[in-house]
Amino acid sequence: MLQAEGVQLLCLTASSGVPLFSRGSTKQLPFSVIGSLNGVHMFGGGQGALLSCCETDRGARVVWRVFRDSVMLIAVSSGGDSTVTELQLCRLLENTWNCMVLVLGQEELSNVRNVERLKRDLRSCYRLIDQLLDPGDDESVMGYLTNCADCLLPPNPSLLQEALDAFTQAADSEFGCLLIRGRVAVATEKWWRLVSQEVVLLSLLVRCMSGTTSCDYPVFLPVGSPTVAHRLLRFQLLQGVDVCTLCGPAPSLHHAKTELVGRFWSPLMETLHGLLAQTQHTPVPSIALHPDILALLLINRETSRSLSVPGRPPAVTPQDGVPPLPSSSRRWELLRLFYTFAITRYFTSGEAAAPPAEPLQEDFSQGFCHTPLHCYLVTEECKCYGLQTPQHQLFLLAALTMPTFALRSIATQTLTSITAATGF
Amino acid sequence: MEHERMCEPASRSGAPLSREAAEDVGDVGSDTTSTASSYSASDYSDELEPEWLDEVQRNGELFYLELSEGEEEEARARASAANHVRFSEQEAEIITEEGRHRAGGAAAVTPRLKRLAGLLRRKKRPRGALNRGDGSTPPSILKNQAGGARHAGQQQQQQQVLKDVCVYLNPKRLASTPHPSPESGGLLEALLGVVHRGGPGTGAQRPGTGAQRPGTGAQRLTVHGLVPNSPASRSGHILIGDVILAVDDVEVTSENIERVLSCIPGPTQVKLTLETAAPGGGPLAGDEGVRGGGSPAVSQLVRLLWGEDTAELQMAVAHIPHAVMYLSLRLDAEPTHEEQEILYQYPVSEASAQLKGVRGIFLTLCDMLENVTGGQIISSSLLLRKQLVHVGYWKEGEHLLVVGLPSDRVPLIYLQSVVEGVVRTLRVMYGSLDSAFCEANSPRLDHFFCLFFQQLIQPSRLIDSPTSPPPAPAPPPTPDVSGTLFLDSLPAVRWLTLPPEIKVEVDTVLSDFEAADFGDMSEDFYGMRRLYVTLGSCLFYKGYLIANHLPKEDLRDVCLYCQHYSLLPLASHQRVGQLVIWREVFPQRRALHSPLLGYAEPQGRYFLLIVGLRHLMQCVLLEAGGCGSPVEGAVGPDCVYVDQVKATLLQLEGLEAGMEERLNAPPAPCLSCADWFLPAGAGLAGGQAARDRLPSISRLANALRPLPPRARRPSPQRSLSDSGSEGGHGEGGGTVMPHSPSSTPDSARKMPPATSSSAFARRDSLGSGGSDGSGGSGSLFRIPRLKHPNPFYLGSLRKSLTERETEEMNSTLKLSSGLENTLFHYVLMESVQGVFIAPTHRDMAQLSGSIHPQLIRNFHHCCLSIRAAFQQSLPPRERRGMSRQHGGLGPVKEHGVLFQCKPENWTDQKRPAPTMTYWVIGRMLLEPIPQEFYVCFHDSVPEVPVEMAFRLSFGLAL
Repeated sequence: MLQAEGVQLLCLTASSGVPLFSRGSTKQLPFSVIGSLNGVHMFGGGQGALLSCCETDRGARVVWRVFRDSVMLIAVSSGGDSTVTELQLCRLLENTWNCMVLVLGQEELSNVRNVERLKRDLRSCYRLIDQLLDPGDDESVMGYLTNCADCLLPPNPSLLQEALDAFTQAADSEFGCLLIRGRVAVATEKWWRLVSQEVVLLSLLVRCMSGTTSCDYPVFLPVGSPTVAHRLLRFQLLQGVDVCTLCGPAPSLHHAKTELVGRFWSPLMETLHGLLAQTQHTPVPSIALHPDILALLLINRETSRSLSVPGRPPAVTPQDGVPPLPSSSRRWELLRLFYTFAITRYFTSGEAAAPPAEPLQEDFSQGFCHTPLHCYLVTEECKCYGLQTPQHQLFLLAALTMPTFALRSIATQTLTSITAATGF
Repeated sequence: MEHERMCEPASRSGAPLSREAAEDVGDVGSDTTSTASSYSASDYSDELEPEWLDEVQRNGELFYLELSEGEEEEARARASAANHVRFSEQEAEIITEEGRHRAGGAAAVTPRLKRLAGLLRRKKRPRGALNRGDGSTPPSILKNQAGGARHAGQQQQQQQVLKDVCVYLNPKRLASTPHPSPESGGLLEALLGVVHRGGPGTGAQRPGTGAQRPGTGAQRLTVHGLVPNSPASRSGHILIGDVILAVDDVEVTSENIERVLSCIPGPTQVKLTLETAAPGGGPLAGDEGVRGGGSPAVSQLVRLLWGEDTAELQMAVAHIPHAVMYLSLRLDAEPTHEEQEILYQYPVSEASAQLKGVRGIFLTLCDMLENVTGGQIISSSLLLRKQLVHVGYWKEGEHLLVVGLPSDRVPLIYLQSVVEGVVRTLRVMYGSLDSAFCEANSPRLDHFFCLFFQQLIQPSRLIDSPTSPPPAPAPPPTPDVSGTLFLDSLPAVRWLTLPPEIKVEVDTVLSDFEAADFGDMSEDFYGMRRLYVTLGSCLFYKGYLIANHLPKEDLRDVCLYCQHYSLLPLASHQRVGQLVIWREVFPQRRALHSPLLGYAEPQGRYFLLIVGLRHLMQCVLLEAGGCGSPVEGAVGPDCVYVDQVKATLLQLEGLEAGMEERLNAPPAPCLSCADWFLPAGAGLAGGQAARDRLPSISRLANALRPLPPRARRPSPQRSLSDSGSEGGHGEGGGTVMPHSPSSTPDSARKMPPATSSSAFARRDSLGSGGSDGSGGSGSLFRIPRLKHPNPFYLGSLRKSLTERETEEMNSTLKLSSGLENTLFHYVLMESVQGVFIAPTHRDMAQLSGSIHPQLIRNFHHCCLSIRAAFQQSLPPRERRGMSRQHGGLGPVKEHGVLFQCKPENWTDQKRPAPTMTYWVIGRMLLEPIPQEFYVCFHDSVPEVPVEMAFRLSFGLAL
């Protein structure tokens, strides 16, 4: 075995097969392997058979995608213990491509003139892509998988909303957003009109740039304006609280930083401090969950927003006779896996607007003649319950102590209580 | 009973019995005077030499299938229906017995004549056939003649009616025989199987039918006899006394018939126009109309099994990419020719050529992924002609099996099961993939994979058997692809629980056979070592396993073979006249498990013998070389063993009535039809409201006594179901009840005799839910006779209940809890025995509705997903010693999905369509016995699947 654990991402030019970059695992695949991975796809393409993915008995997978006939992305997961599903790899490739467009613009990627220069330019994407490959400490962020913006529901949003609207207007823009720990707390109406992948990536970009107090970064919107760059102005208000706007040539970073930020946000510092503390453990401070719920993911299908709420933290000392609760990171992993399971088999994912003309992935749910509404799984670690309404999707992880027959009522109650209390 | 052998001792000496050898034996046998036994004179072996002997291949394999469409009872039933003559079951039995007896007696008296006939037949087929048809008349013909006699009796009121009958003719079958001469009946007899005796004054010509046409020498072609097992007799619609008027709309007489028939170039279906006698004409015409324009054509499946023209079937799927390839991974430095690495490939269509073109991908991926990830590739997906194609891989040694299938037929999560299934089938049949894909096997493999792909890609074309099984309605029109996929890949066989007394008898008969210690099976008989040791056998009735004496893995092997050749549906849809299959097999149990220390199974060779007669089919696994004498080379079937199995089956036929009764019995746990839960529209405001009201009304009913369950449901469907069950009931021969189809269930329910009013009230309330469903039939008709095992059997608890209460318990076999019977469907697999139970096809057919078939399809599709989830979490069993940590979700114990359905054509614009929600839940139990349970029930009552599985399996006689 040549490759270490984890996912490796390969990027090549589609026409000539020149490697552009490779991210992921510390141990790189040898060039011959990269060459053959690209070769089989090219060979198939020439014969009218477009290879999309393959799988081994140990759960290792390879997924191929060509974007705009110019860039080939290949994701290789090694399988073993950390199984990565096909959906996750596909989302990873799409997000990687979008990241590349976000930073470099579609123009430069579609018409590759100087490969060496492109290689150099692509280095600026590495941070973003690495973030995609390894979300790091904050595992409850699911936007890369769900294509829905991770949100946070502050108890008093109107105050923040007003401040943000005024700030954005003053910055000569209509796109503004306040992020707390990488999650959207409030955003302007126009910001929500952006395609959900863009919102996810912009949040990701802001998270990547944390550490500096402010920055001015040119971005191409992968769907909205892939060829014309905008300026993303980002200001850190507090550690973990950022405000950003998308704007044109004006105002300058200096002007915005010195004048606008102070004017609009200093009155709210107390509120923000409080909010930061309140949302330390949960993005929805106003809701008390059933104690047996380990974690949940709530998606608003209409607005493409998602909430990932952790449940009761695992007990420090496991009691006798009670199976130990999964650790916090395991919970998020399970939730991600359950989401993938339910989406690939029963429910439809967010961007079901226009199914692609060429189906690269099989849609198992097409085979059902009746509509799946709920589904549940009982495993050895926990119980999972998923439900879908026209407006929402809820994925819930419960402890084994919760009786199976109670899952449904708990899930529906949780959904109604959250939506009723927050209007999510 | 003493069975006599039909062949010479020479054939039992252990020498390989090749085709030539067998024929020699036959010739010798005709000269010797071995006593004809009572058995060998029975209607299936009234010849000297078994019919299948000619079909034994050089390697000893035999696949002999002969249909008896419409022979025997079926033909009689139709004939009697046409004549409005009612044969009761008893009478028919008597006739059969008489016929057999007479035939047997005649044969016993004149064995030499029969031998002579056999000899003649071999020399000159048509004459022999004539002799057989007229001389030692088999009972089926006798019966037809009996019918014909009645014809004659009733002739006065009869009028002549024209009918069209389609028969399948294959002139190629005549190729082996010399050209039939007109004197011996010509093509009419040889090809069609109709005996017509020329010349004026011969035959029983009816007055007034104009046997001789004025002015011409041409005679009308009156059917004077039918050659057994010929297309004419198989069709069941050509009766003695009919007059053939036209062939494919060409008018025929005795003059031109030979010319017309000789124009048939190849195997084809022709339409015969016959003039027949029928009273009034109306009923017959109606009958024919219902049966879809007459007689059955031979189904595509049978033609495929016969190895006849598969080109048409293949054309139909040519545009769908599918292929199988067996590739060599060894890369020679100097390839001598272009496609050297392809050891085998099928089919040769454009789409599959494209897959063949990219075989480099498969080879490279297989090699590379092993190097990179350390795992074996199992699947890949590619887009071919805008269709997603999944490719499954199986590596064995230096070779790679690649199977490409369209994703809309086989979902990715099930691809591996399909590939594993085909690999195991090939291994069972040939020992290993390498020996399967050798050059010599190529035509056989073509046939194998033709069946494989046809079953996966267009199952409907195969199954659209033109005849519907008589009592039950036709199988659902749209094939349930997921259902076949799911049920076939379960490592289990469909089991039919039988009433204990029948079960015991069946088992006894099978055990007697397996003991092989009587007659010429015993070693003492010839004082020599026996040829084969019977390892075990299993018995199918209409495709349901009813007895199994094989170890689980062997059963699985046998069933894989049967499934692949669609033998199980064959027995339920078509009436198998005779099926004899013989081949060497390589049971995987021996390959999979290394022998335990201290004991090794003998290194023998194993043979599979499958014999089917009508609806019964017995599979026998034989071992040679252990206790039996060793064999060498290619071994053909041994007559003695085939005949013994036949005898067993004939013996078991006596029990068929009991099995049929079991099939006709109402479903053991009551089933509901999904359509009953959808309000018909009027009066009820939306599905939600209706659903909410259901339990409350029942509760009310409970309190108030027999409040009619009527408010609950506008009951056209229910009365329909009741009349349906009435039919089944009448046939079953239970209590006779005056029960007009229009009577409501209520009035019917008041009928049951010998129940006090309080008990009645209790039953009504208890069973009201059930009776709303199929319980209407269940509770009503169950009471008088409770023969088959009751999954609801309460064991010791029963003692503490009063007799009446137990009776009530028994009368409402309800799996679901709550008042309503909410159970729609279930599948319970017992992993240890390798069997599963599910509602029978007939149960399902009775619950016809518009939504219900959809629901079943959906259920099966969902089960695919549920089982895939279970499989992923199971520890790896046999595959390549891998550790499969799938999905990372961990072992899944239970998985359920809630579905919502709406009526399809909801026209009411004002109100939203009513909806019905139901659960599909799968549960895997490892303790106390491994089981998998899949159930589908209405949403109104929360169920605990474990309990349901327990209730269902408890007391299940296996």
